[in-house]
Amino acid sequence: MGQEQMSPVPMWRRIQRFLGADPAADIEDEVRHHLEMRARDLESRGMSADEARAEAVRRFGDVEAVRREVAAIDDAAGRSERRKVWAGDLAQDLRYAFRSLWRSPGFTFAAVGILALAIGANTAVFSAVNSVLLKPLPLADPDRLVMLWEENPERGWYQETAAPANMFDWRERVEEFIDVAAYLSFPDPVTLVGNGDPLALTARTVTGNFFSVLGVAPAAGRFPRDEETWSTSEAVMVLAYDTWVRSFGEDPSIVGSIARLNGVPYRIVGVAPDGFRLPGVEADLWRSIQWDPADMVATSFRRAHYVRPIARLRSGVTIEEAAARLDAVAVSLEAEYPETNRLMGAGLTPLHEFLVGDVSATLKFLLGAVALLLLLASANVGNLLLVRALARQRELAVRAALGAGRRRLVRQILVESLILSGLGGAFGVLVGWVSLRLFGTFGTGRLVDKVHLALDFRFLVYLFAILLVGGLVFSLAPLALSGRVSVADALREGGQRASAGQGARRISGALVAGEVAIAVLLLAGAILLSRSFSALQRVEPGFQSSGVFTGGLAPPASTYGSGGEIVAFFDEVIEGVEALPGVERAAVVRQLPLTSASWTSDFSIAGRAPDEYGVEVVHREISPGYFEVMRVPLLRGRTFTPYDRSSDDQVSTERVIVVNEVLARQYFPDEDPIGARIAFTRTPTDDAVWWTVVGVVGTELQASPAEGARIEIFAPVAQAPTRGMKLVVRTNGSPASFGRPITSLLRSIDPEIVLADPATMEEVRQAATARERLMTLMVTAFATLALTLALVGVYGVIAQALRARRREMAIRVALGATRVDLLTMSIRQSLPMLAAGIVVGIAGALLAARFAASLVYGVEPRDPATLGLAASLLLAMGLAATILSSTRVGTAHPSAVLREE
Amino acid sequence: MPDRELELLRGTLDVLILKTLSWGPAHGYAIANWIEEVTGNILAIEEGSLYPALHRLERRGCLESSWGLSENNRRAKYYALTEEGRRALRAESSAWARFSEAVGMVLGSARAPEWARSR
Repeated sequence: MGQEQMSPVPMWRRIQRFLGADPAADIEDEVRHHLEMRARDLESRGMSADEARAEAVRRFGDVEAVRREVAAIDDAAGRSERRKVWAGDLAQDLRYAFRSLWRSPGFTFAAVGILALAIGANTAVFSAVNSVLLKPLPLADPDRLVMLWEENPERGWYQETAAPANMFDWRERVEEFIDVAAYLSFPDPVTLVGNGDPLALTARTVTGNFFSVLGVAPAAGRFPRDEETWSTSEAVMVLAYDTWVRSFGEDPSIVGSIARLNGVPYRIVGVAPDGFRLPGVEADLWRSIQWDPADMVATSFRRAHYVRPIARLRSGVTIEEAAARLDAVAVSLEAEYPETNRLMGAGLTPLHEFLVGDVSATLKFLLGAVALLLLLASANVGNLLLVRALARQRELAVRAALGAGRRRLVRQILVESLILSGLGGAFGVLVGWVSLRLFGTFGTGRLVDKVHLALDFRFLVYLFAILLVGGLVFSLAPLALSGRVSVADALREGGQRASAGQGARRISGALVAGEVAIAVLLLAGAILLSRSFSALQRVEPGFQSSGVFTGGLAPPASTYGSGGEIVAFFDEVIEGVEALPGVERAAVVRQLPLTSASWTSDFSIAGRAPDEYGVEVVHREISPGYFEVMRVPLLRGRTFTPYDRSSDDQVSTERVIVVNEVLARQYFPDEDPIGARIAFTRTPTDDAVWWTVVGVVGTELQASPAEGARIEIFAPVAQAPTRGMKLVVRTNGSPASFGRPITSLLRSIDPEIVLADPATMEEVRQAATARERLMTLMVTAFATLALTLALVGVYGVIAQALRARRREMAIRVALGATRVDLLTMSIRQSLPMLAAGIVVGIAGALLAARFAASLVYGVEPRDPATLGLAASLLLAMGLAATILSSTRVGTAHPSAVLREE
Repeated sequence: MPDRELELLRGTLDVLILKTLSWGPAHGYAIANWIEEVTGNILAIEEGSLYPALHRLERRGCLESSWGLSENNRRAKYYALTEEGRRALRAESSAWARFSEAVGMVLGSARAPEWARSR
């Protein structure tokens, strides 16, 4: 304690103090001063020097403790002081950044605009991806749910619907399943008649345990019970939440009441919760399937495949274990029921994956494209910032000289970038929201049911990530530049000659090359999709869609019980419609073309070997005028007449069918199909029903052009009465205007029948390719934006380069250089940049080709013509931008430029 | 020292320092000396405890410091009152005056309390 405090201040301390504040030394000095003063005082009163020193220390107290306490206080004070300074600096930086952005509105507008567009596109696409792919299904434990399916290599079945009898056997025998429920794979248009006007709704038919297997709780009332699957229980139905709100005004008394669906009474037992949906399985209501228990042992119960079973796995059971057991059960069923289950395998897929599988490739592709766009936009903004920083070099240098540390400058640039990101992000979300509403108008092509702006945490994480990445990309350029800011350089006259300028231009060049690469990639994608789409459009549908009106029709069973009554109803409707002005012909058909194939069966042709049966022939029941309405050509024989009907009390006339050309070519290559007799079973028994072929018609596309046309037979509805049909009407004017007259006609025939889904055939045709159209439009939009940005980038880089070499060029011009010489100079500058970008872009396109393979039709993703077109387009436009830039920038008069010094 | 007494002492010390500096800027030693002089050495504070108090007051904004050369030609830290410090001094002084008046009233009371009078 004693001696050390009193020694004189060491030299090194003095020097240290000279170089800057030293808080520890300050405390030291303060304490030392006090002790010295006290000692001196005591000495002057008579104490010896040593005694005085000791007494001084004694009076002071615990010197070390005091030192520590004071150091702690100073420390805390220092920290809060630094915080205040930091906050003050930040506030200043923000104010400064805002002011400088405000003062250059062109730049700010451009930067924020570019970012907003790119982020907006990302927002829209990500919302779609989120709502379809990322968000888990709104069910209990959705990972435990699997979709069961059947497969049959002979019929080309994979992940096909199952036969009910098979489903029940799986339910019983596979212990890994807690329970199995099912819904019918096709939606039913129904007319609901309750207390108000009849409503045309879409119904899904389900087993009683459907909602309990899925694991949801009703919003009102209750859900069906397992025993209500069967006709021995009352028929029940559950409303969708939207339907309850929209058509019943959220009236709670609806629960428990009875309404008639197509004439059959169902009791409304409950309402599904808000937001409950299975992707791709649209429904306004769910009704019980009402199977007859006696049917359970019928062969048809095992032969007809039309249910989609969903199973819930027991906890602790893996998917592999369940799949293995399911497979084993399928094998034993094959042995037990050889007639129906031959080669019938079974499998399972996680439910979510199954429901969204076919759109996930599309969505991921779009997400990739839009992410590339964002990268490009960031590079573009980075370039803009770089140019700006270059122009402000002088200002930055002065500020550096005035004491702003390098860290401070960097921070200021970062703050500016962050503000731009923030503004871009905010506007981007707005752009995204607007786009999503527009999507609603144009239709999402069944890509997603309804896309809502995904404002959940996943979206915020995504937004933060892209802002971070984008912000990093476009801050790096000016940051790299700021590192080279040298006061002396910048303050020198003609500061643009500084090495920083050259470095900046090199960075700019690299950025623009990157932009060109991305533009090439997106352009190649757009060209590819456009070619694919037009190939799809060019596929002949086999009928004439313009001028045809369509709608759905289903006479209720209560009023039209027998086949004869159904047929008479349709006859009446057709007669009435044909009497309307402007109508040429009307007909009914089970399923419209370009939607999805109707039901299929096996078939055998009389006189052929027993093992020569056919599989998967599509059946469509039609009224006689159908081919005329759709203008499908008759190739051989005849179509149906009003005489082709069966009467209930007489010996039925001969059963006739018409086949399509594909079937004729495949199964009657060398002979005339007319007169052939066909039965719709693999092995016809003695009491099999035979149909005679009377005609061959042109082939219609049953589903999307990408799937190709299938073999098909048409039967007269008079001989095969079917309840749910589509009305098709050929008009001589605009078909859309026929909705109202036909509806009132229907009402006059039977007020309880409503025309479902009225649309023109053109609309149906467009809907068939809606997804491809949407994709093509979106990627083309991205590519256009990318191309514009890249070209602006090229223009800018050349302009910069030319401006930097102004003096040199002026001298050359004075010495006799022509415009062509200057042009050559510019092109020599831009060509390497363009070439590098194009090469990288093409390489990227080749790599990405395999992701596009499943999405294109009729073109090869690696098609050289596509890539060549994209490359040459970009090269041509890049050179054009170069020429334009050089012509505009390089025309200053030499003397004016030289005088600029 | 028990905590309560330390608290009291801290508060008291603060007001003494503030009052001392109201006469003019001074360094820590001068403050200590003057307090001892004026009170006739009744208040012999532990001199070390002065410095944490000074630094705390500076942190609170009541004082501001600067470095200078003292009488013995040594580097010394001088403290001066700020506006804030003057305000604090006024507040503390009146509080102290009220306090000591109250204590005086109790100590100088002539009448006995209820519960002792019946004796």
